[in-house]
Order: sequence, then C-alpha cells, then structure tokens
Amino acid sequence: MSSDEKYDAALDLLRRLDPTKVKTNLQNLISLEPSLAEDLLSSIDLPLTIKQDTKASNREFLCCDYNRDMDSHRSPWSNDYYPQLSAEDLAESPFPSEKLRELEIICNDSFDVYRDLYYEGGVSSVYLWDLDEESDFAGVILFKKSNSSSSSWDSIHVIEVTNSGNADFNYKVTTTIILQLDNHVTSELKLSGNLTRQTERDIRVDTNKDDQLRIAHITNLGTLIEDVESQMRDMLETVYFEKTRDIFHQNKNSLISKNESGKNAQAEIVKGLQNL
Amino acid sequence: MSESNFEKVISEIIFDSPAGEIKQVYDSLITIVGENSKDTLLNVIEQYNIKNNIPIDVDGNNILLSENNKDGASRYFDPINGVSFTVDHMNRKGLDVEPYQAKGFTDNQKSLYQSILDYTTNAYPGDVTIAVYPIIEGDTEEAIKLEIIISSTKYNPDNFWNGDWRSKYVYDKNLSQLTGTIDVQIHYYEDGNVSFKSNKTIEQNNVKDIAATISDIEKEFENSLDVSFTELNEKQFKSLRRRLPITRSKINWGKAIGNYRLGKDAAEGA
Repeated sequence: MSSDEKYDAALDLLRRLDPTKVKTNLQNLISLEPSLAEDLLSSIDLPLTIKQDTKASNREFLCCDYNRDMDSHRSPWSNDYYPQLSAEDLAESPFPSEKLRELEIICNDSFDVYRDLYYEGGVSSVYLWDLDEESDFAGVILFKKSNSSSSSWDSIHVIEVTNSGNADFNYKVTTTIILQLDNHVTSELKLSGNLTRQTERDIRVDTNKDDQLRIAHITNLGTLIEDVESQMRDMLETVYFEKTRDIFHQNKNSLISKNESGKNAQAEIVKGLQNL
Repeated sequence: MSESNFEKVISEIIFDSPAGEIKQVYDSLITIVGENSKDTLLNVIEQYNIKNNIPIDVDGNNILLSENNKDGASRYFDPINGVSFTVDHMNRKGLDVEPYQAKGFTDNQKSLYQSILDYTTNAYPGDVTIAVYPIIEGDTEEAIKLEIIISSTKYNPDNFWNGDWRSKYVYDKNLSQLTGTIDVQIHYYEDGNVSFKSNKTIEQNNVKDIAATISDIEKEFENSLDVSFTELNEKQFKSLRRRLPITRSKINWGKAIGNYRLGKDAAEGA
C-alpha cells in the first residue's frame, strides 16, 4: 500500500473511532505505522492545552501544534517559549517577522475582546506565521472555554490570507470545533466530538499604509470568524441536540406503542361503524 | 512491535468502533497493517461480535451472539428455532446450520421470549432482535438464571449516521431479581465525528412480570435521556458560548474594538 492510501485509511479510522479518545487512537495508529506520525500529528486537531506566561503576570495562553517547538510553546503575550529553550535552540525556533508580530499583537487584543463578549471567560490566543510572499500570511485563531461540569468548547481556526493581485485579498479559514458535554446525574451520558468546515472570502483592501492594512485585516478576519462561529454554533446545536436525539428515537421509542394502540382503537371504531 | 502488543492495539481500535462500521474499520486497518494480519483482525472481530451481542442472519432469522448460546469452540445455537450454526463474523451470516436441542430451555422460556417480543415490537422502531438464553451452571436440568438481550439498530451510512441500542439482563428465578445494563451509542460523522454514548446499570428486585418490568425500566431510561438532552443544551451548551454578545449585536471590528473594554471597565466601576 502506498503511504497516501495508509494516510487516508488512518483518517477514515479517526473519523469512526470514539472522538473523546482521539489522542490514544492517534498513538495506536502511529504505533502500527510510524511513518504516518508527522502527517497525522499536523492534520488532526487535538483538544487545546493551557500554559501560563510567567513574563505576562502568569496570563494563560493556548497550545497546539502550530505554536510548538520541540516540547515548548510560544506565548502570544510575551512572544517567549515555555518551558524556556536554550539560546542555541531558540536561534532555530520559529517567530513571526517583526511586521507580522505587530499584526499578531493586534489580533490577540481584538480576539480577546471577542472572547470576553461571546464566551464570558475562557482563553484565546492567535498565532501568525509568514508565507513566501511578503503580503501573505497564515495563522491560527484559538478559543477554549470549559465549565465546572467537565464540558468544554475548543475552537481552532486555521487561516490563510493571500494577496491575489492589486488590492484583492483572499481569506481562507478551516474551522474545527471540538465540543464535549458530560452528564452524570441520572445516567452516564457523553455527547462529544468535532465538526469541521471551510469558508473563503475575497475582499478588496484599498490601502498601502501598513497601519491601515493591519486594521483592514483584523476587521476582515474578525467579521469572518464571528460569522463562521455563529454558523457552526447553530450547526453544533442541530447535530448534538436534534440529530442524535432523533436517531436515538429511531432505535427506541416508547411512544410508538401509544400511536399503535391509538391506531388500533381507531380501526376498532371504524370497524364498529362499518358494522352498523 | 511485539505480536502481543500488536494484538492489544488492534483490539483497542476494533473494540472502540461503532457496531455498524466494523467492515469499514477492518478495510482501513488492513490498508495500514497489510493482508498478513487478517487472521488477527478476524479473531478480534469474533470477540467483538460476542461481547456486543451482534445479530447474525441465520437462514433469514436474526440471532444474537452471546457467551450463553455458544456450543463448543465455534458453534452457536438458537433455542427458539432449534438450530445450531457456525458464523461468518465479518459478514454476520450463519453457516452450517444443523438441528439442535438447547439444554435447559423450557416452554416457560419460550413464553417469556414471546412476551418480550410483544413488548419490543411496540417500543422499537429500529431493526430489533431479542434473545432469551438459559445460563447453564453445573448439571441442572432447568436453568435458574436466564439471559435476556434486546438489540435495536438503525444504520444509515448514506447519511453518515448509525445508531445502536443494547439492553441485556440476567433474571435470577430464585431471587426474583433482574440485573443488567443498557447501552446506547449514536455516531454521526458528516463533516466531523460526533458520538453520543450513554449507559445505565440496572438492578430490580421482586420482579413478577419480567417483560413489564423491562418495559418500565426502559421507558424510564428513555425519558431520563430526553431530560438530559434538554439540560445539556439549556445549561451546559449555552454556558460555553453565547449566541450573541451581551450587547445583543454583532461586534464592531476595527480600531474602535477597544471601546468594548472601556465600556466594560466603566460599567464595573474600574
């Protein structure tokens, strides 16, 4: 089998196996075929983890494969790696260019306001990286909110912004939301998983001033992410609470007995009337 | 990787799979590990089928597999139709069907089977299969304990979802006691992977009418799931992310976004 076929087979399995055990399943698949490790680790979204930035009053930041170098993660607040890397390693570590870091700071600031307004708590982080063309860039916008009863929401928006000539910019976003809900009150109940969707928008940005371009990017990205998250929230609500419940009742439904006996009663009446 | 470790990993993957997708899981696994491991995979699927009481098509009748309808190493029996058979575990088909007289199976059990069947026909819109198996302990002629299994499946891979219900009980005649578990699993995988799982442990004493007791237990479980769905939506989901900000309108992005913070600080008297 070619490595592409094996990779597709691994993705197919991860779509079928328990989404709450994605980390174990990933490790199992890699142990069966170690050559899949790199591709799988960079394409499968795992729940986000949280670290503290000691240089920014212990402010929390989110960690994923996109801000990782070795076993450390870059904080968007101080731009440092935690745990700290040796000077030698740090020289090789990825950082956004000075110009892009300015946009990254504004993005973090704006999406932090967004997080507060929509999530009323939780943590947000934005990481950007340069692409080959100077006017292009890519990045990831992250949100995580958990509540006391072990339920959690993780948003992972991978973005790519490319200048398609003149003043036209293409904004592409691939969003995965990992939603986990638990209830142990009446019976053991777990409703969890992830949904992914891609969105793209072309927008004209008429300026050649750096600061105005930054404001245009954050406005366009902000509006896009706000729209995508609103749509995905509706989609999650439909799939989690209507779809799965409906499928459950297609397996078991004590109400059909009522309907059936109702039908029988009706048939009896009809029969009775016909006999008159 | 050692052979025992390999088997452990394969087992973990297969036992984690939804019952309606074993064939696809098998195909994907074979693509990764190669045809040489076919026997290991099929061996695990056999264990999976027994543990999850998978229905087997035996000459048009669906029969549930269990530890309690095993006859020897590879044969299973169906006390109702009085046959025994071997199983093609991959395709869930019965083979080499032969007449069979189940030990410890009585007319009482046959009528229990009928009353469970009457109940399930009216409560399960899915593809429902039931079983009543005597649990033979020692040399007793009539079984003191009975295993009762209800399996209801609804598979719709064209629309990317599959659903399973399985309830299984042991009825102890001497104690008039019913113990068991209910397991529900729904898998939805269009543009993602969403799993709904629920289970409940059952223990009921002073059982007089077995079918009526099961009907009550399962209706109560079903109702409690409906309540849980509503609660998860109303309480937990809504507390994770709002539909609209507190301001009830979409965000005014751009330079002025900092005003939200100023507004909040002012409101909090900071």
